[in-house]
Amino acid sequence: MGIEEKLPSGFMLTSVEVLAGYMRKASLWPATFGLACCAIEMMTSGAPRYDLGRFGMEVFRASPRQADLMIVAGRVSQKMAPVVRQVYDQMVNPKWVLSMGVCASSGGMFNNYAIVQGVDHIVPVDIYLPGCPPRPEMLINAILELHQQIQNMPLGVNREEAARAAEAAALKAIPTSQMKGLLR
Amino acid sequence: MTVTEPSKTAVDLVTLTIDGIEVSVPKGTLLIRAAEELGIAIPRFCDHPLLAPAGACRQCLVEVAMPDREGNVRPMPKPQASCTMTATPGMVVKTQLTSPVSEKAQRGVMELLLINHPLDCPVCDKGGECPLQNQALANGQGESRFTEVKRTFPKPIRISTQVLLDRERCILCQRCTRFSKEIAGDPFIDLQMRGAHQQIGTFSPGVLDFHVDLPYPVVRTSEELEPTVESQTQGSTKDESRGASHDHVTGTYAADGIATRGEAMLDESGQPFASYFSGNTIQICPVGALTGAAYRFRARPFDLVSSKGVCEHCAGGCALRVDHRRGKVARRLAAEDSAVNEEWNCDKGRWAFTWSTGADRLTHPLVRDPETGELEPVSWPYALEVAAKGLLKAREAGGVGVLPGGRLTVGDAYAYAKFARVVLRTNDIDFRSRAHSAEEEAFLSHAVAGTGLGVTYAALEAAPSVLLAGLEAEEEAASVFLRLRKSVLKGSKKVYSIAPWASRGLIKLSGSLLQTVPGQEATALGSAAAAEAVAEPGSIILLGPRLTESPGAYQAALALAASSGARLAWVPRRAGERGAVEAGALPGLLPGGRPVSDPAARVDMAAAWDVESLPSQPGRDATRIVDAAAAGVLAGLLVGGVDPDDMPDPAAARAALETASFVVSLEVRASAVTAYADVVLPVAPPAEKGGTYLNWEGRHREFPQALTSDALSDGEVLDSLASEVGVWIGLRGELSGTAELASLGRWEGAKADRPEHHTVPVAGTTVLSTWSMLLDRGRLQDGEPYLAGTAHRAVARMSPATAAQLGVQKGISSNVTVFNDRGEITLPLALTPMPDGVVWLPSNSPGSPVRSKLAAGNGDAVSVRLAGDQLMGA
Amino acid sequence: MADHNSNETSSDGGGWLSAFAPIAGFGVTFATMFTKVVTEQYPEQKVPTAPRFHGRHQLNRHPDGLEKCIGCELCAWACPADAIFVEGADNTEEDRFSPGERYGRVYQINYLRCILCGLCIEACPTRALTMTNEYEQLKGSTRAGLIFEKQDLLAPVLGGMIPAPHPMVPGTTEQDYYQGKVTQSVSEQQEWVDARHGEDEKAGKVESVKGGDR
Repeated sequence: MGIEEKLPSGFMLTSVEVLAGYMRKASLWPATFGLACCAIEMMTSGAPRYDLGRFGMEVFRASPRQADLMIVAGRVSQKMAPVVRQVYDQMVNPKWVLSMGVCASSGGMFNNYAIVQGVDHIVPVDIYLPGCPPRPEMLINAILELHQQIQNMPLGVNREEAARAAEAAALKAIPTSQMKGLLR
Repeated sequence: MTVTEPSKTAVDLVTLTIDGIEVSVPKGTLLIRAAEELGIAIPRFCDHPLLAPAGACRQCLVEVAMPDREGNVRPMPKPQASCTMTATPGMVVKTQLTSPVSEKAQRGVMELLLINHPLDCPVCDKGGECPLQNQALANGQGESRFTEVKRTFPKPIRISTQVLLDRERCILCQRCTRFSKEIAGDPFIDLQMRGAHQQIGTFSPGVLDFHVDLPYPVVRTSEELEPTVESQTQGSTKDESRGASHDHVTGTYAADGIATRGEAMLDESGQPFASYFSGNTIQICPVGALTGAAYRFRARPFDLVSSKGVCEHCAGGCALRVDHRRGKVARRLAAEDSAVNEEWNCDKGRWAFTWSTGADRLTHPLVRDPETGELEPVSWPYALEVAAKGLLKAREAGGVGVLPGGRLTVGDAYAYAKFARVVLRTNDIDFRSRAHSAEEEAFLSHAVAGTGLGVTYAALEAAPSVLLAGLEAEEEAASVFLRLRKSVLKGSKKVYSIAPWASRGLIKLSGSLLQTVPGQEATALGSAAAAEAVAEPGSIILLGPRLTESPGAYQAALALAASSGARLAWVPRRAGERGAVEAGALPGLLPGGRPVSDPAARVDMAAAWDVESLPSQPGRDATRIVDAAAAGVLAGLLVGGVDPDDMPDPAAARAALETASFVVSLEVRASAVTAYADVVLPVAPPAEKGGTYLNWEGRHREFPQALTSDALSDGEVLDSLASEVGVWIGLRGELSGTAELASLGRWEGAKADRPEHHTVPVAGTTVLSTWSMLLDRGRLQDGEPYLAGTAHRAVARMSPATAAQLGVQKGISSNVTVFNDRGEITLPLALTPMPDGVVWLPSNSPGSPVRSKLAAGNGDAVSVRLAGDQLMGA
Repeated sequence: MADHNSNETSSDGGGWLSAFAPIAGFGVTFATMFTKVVTEQYPEQKVPTAPRFHGRHQLNRHPDGLEKCIGCELCAWACPADAIFVEGADNTEEDRFSPGERYGRVYQINYLRCILCGLCIEACPTRALTMTNEYEQLKGSTRAGLIFEKQDLLAPVLGGMIPAPHPMVPGTTEQDYYQGKVTQSVSEQQEWVDARHGEDEKAGKVESVKGGDR
């Protein structure tokens, strides 16, 4: 992304990581992406009673090019899926996705042909938030959890290492098709 | 169904009125069925179309009026049970729909039934599919007026390791007791006590006065044995099990590494209950009084998905309902198919399905690493590439033998047959991974292949007499046994069996024994007694798996059929055998019954398969494939679902697998072949693929894929393998093989010649007689300890005189050791009326792996000695 | 014309106040500055939810620590989102998790399907499944992590409880449990659990408990 990617591993990079994480987590700019009922709760979160402004993210950008957090709030229909993906693609790096509500996360009770069974089929999701819809506290709670993730986000060689570790773990994991009987 | 049963004479119709609608039904129709004709459902619990009327539950009460002698229609004073009353002319019936009296009577009965019925629906397995629950909700009282304490019993009695009885829930409909008496012939529970204490109970010594000193191992002296040779076995069907108990040893075992769960109760004969059909009582129980241990509390009917299925075990082709949940089969039930299994099946078909989900299931292709010598999981493309290269190399180096095994669907067997001819360019293919003979192949080519639907279950039921030649119906073809027993109980049917001794199955069929020394079945088939047995027109001869080891038997059977006019049917033991014959998985046979030796048939098939020509040389059969591979003549082996221990000589089979330079194994689970294989390609078990079995009748038994799975069928794997070799055999898709085979049509040309008679003299001290039990060590019964507990205990059987020669003392339990130069088997001895100089062993029961220990089969010479004391506990 | 009218209006409204007209709207803003702040300082100060708020589920225990769930799957049946998976199993003398013969061996709730509607707790015949007001655990970075298993859902072990498996209170039936006659665990149960933990005497102790229980 920038100069921080070129830094060698070690104390220097760690310090930059901490600093970059601290900066990034406090300046999330969400893209407006209300799709259904969850959007109402998302709007409430931005309103004075819950006031996302306390976390520096009261400005929901209308343009994805100015946003770095996509809150997918509501059920994603098959027709909407390409739009979601395009908005995601238009966002600048580093970017995060919060899947708000059960419909966005897994299809929820709409287990049918019209609804994408989890927005992670289209975009990589960093944090899932169940609820139908989740109350604003739950959204804030999830955003704070995301802040933790962002704070601890590795950079440069550390990031490559983390990616490799994640891939190795994924290869080792039991494929969901073989998890007989249980929910998956 | 009683109503639709065909009748030889013109049907007498009676006309009656039900709920104001006039209806004509055949004479003798029960009111409850007549109402069904009109679409009026009368509630019932005890009534079952295949069981005799009982009138036990009283739920089906209706108001009936009948014309008296003057013709005035007079109502009967009280409501009548419609499940026991037959329709008579002029009857006026009012059901709960039109009559407040019937409605009130049914409500009242329901209230009485519920008095002692516990409110434990949430923990009851039947909850959700329970007739009592449904009916109580539909037309029961909202509230109970019964405020007293309900009758309770200790929670479930374990009748067998598999069947549990919960007496609190029982509504005394007697479906289970009627089934076990009328259909299976294994009474194990019955009504006991009187009045409010009436209950279904076991034959425990606490309730009934039975002897409990289990006579095991059973040794009887010759004085107690009555001669039964050539005579109808004594004992009517009612007390048959007590009559049979003198020589029948059943019971649970926990030997030879097969774990069972728990102990069984004693049955009527005072022995641990071990019926092969007990699962049906669970299915027909209208409440949750009888439950199966394997399915107990595992799932709920409302979250199960049901698929149609066909049993993969024997050649009966019973229809099944496969209930599964989230990718896992939860249970299997007998489905209704009036042409085949009616509504019943055996316990093996019901419960032996866990074999495919064990830890040894293969999920990835394996290729043997040339350096380490270990099998390593690899990707499909790589495994196919290695397999294709190896097979091509082996083909050039001397040829590849194909052993598909006898458990394939028609499509898969056809894929093997086509793959062998088109890709491997050989006729060295034989599905008979069991005892076999050239005579058998000739018989199959001559009389079975390409004959289509022959003798059917219905024909079997209608036949005046049936001769079982080398077939133990109860052990080897359970649905055939049930159908035979049904017609025997109806009346005039006679069953004859060519066997060394009268098995319990034969006694339950009230059958006559044509006593035979194993290996001499040909003589028995040629005897006057056999001719007399099938003299009546319409008789049927069933040829069982044992005949293949009996020289001349097939020829004698054909001769008997020709001289008497009786029809022949071949009843193999495995589900895929008949299909494999049709598909051409035999060395001398191409698909559709086309003989390899016939140039016209070869040209026919070459055109159909779009190849230049087909190999003209008749191939090797399984024994010769094994010999050739062991001698290094055949360089490669392509092996399907074959257990080397089933082969005529397991040691030779293992040696062949060891010697062959390239072995490809297509298996569901890691098996004995896997250890020798160079490439292992995983294939789908029947629940994870669709297909068609041909049952012994020649009937197509199509079934869909039940579970979502990425496992490939044998046919699809062979298709990919052929593509890798560079040959297009076009068998992708689950039914493409079956469809292609059907499109080929049957061979219209000359049939293969009749089998030749080969006489092999029997030498040695004692002749071995053996057949497989329904429940044994078979690999398709793995992983089901509850089922294993109901298997019959393995014993050796000898005649009293032969035993006396060995020095068996009167009244003392003895173990005998059967041995030859290959090995020995020691089992408890049961004295049985049978020919002298014959010893019987179960083929593959725990403690008695006849093939792998003795490498001997039916009719082979063995030696017997009294086992030493140190072997008593073995 | 417009000018003329505006002059008239200002002269009618009169005087210098008209100068404030453009900013009169800010009055609301200024006034609000002195009202109580409505913003909830969520992570720092947690406002309690309504008492009947549908939060995370809980699998309750009997007062002696045995589980109330009997694995009947009625919750799974009632669930409109197919979010619950239950598999029952037999209680044995060696492993007793609930009074009676059946217990829930597997209990899973997929919170990424669950809509917290509460139909499951209405369906529960033993009040084993209830809902708490807890909502903060409901977040996560993986889908699998939001499938809560039985151990995640079980109620905490309170005073007087011993976590299952252990035998029922001697001399009681499952009816007594449902009628509230069992109020806490008894020493026999504690002894049984201790014996089970003690490796050496395990077999003997289990036998004696079995005998006593019957």
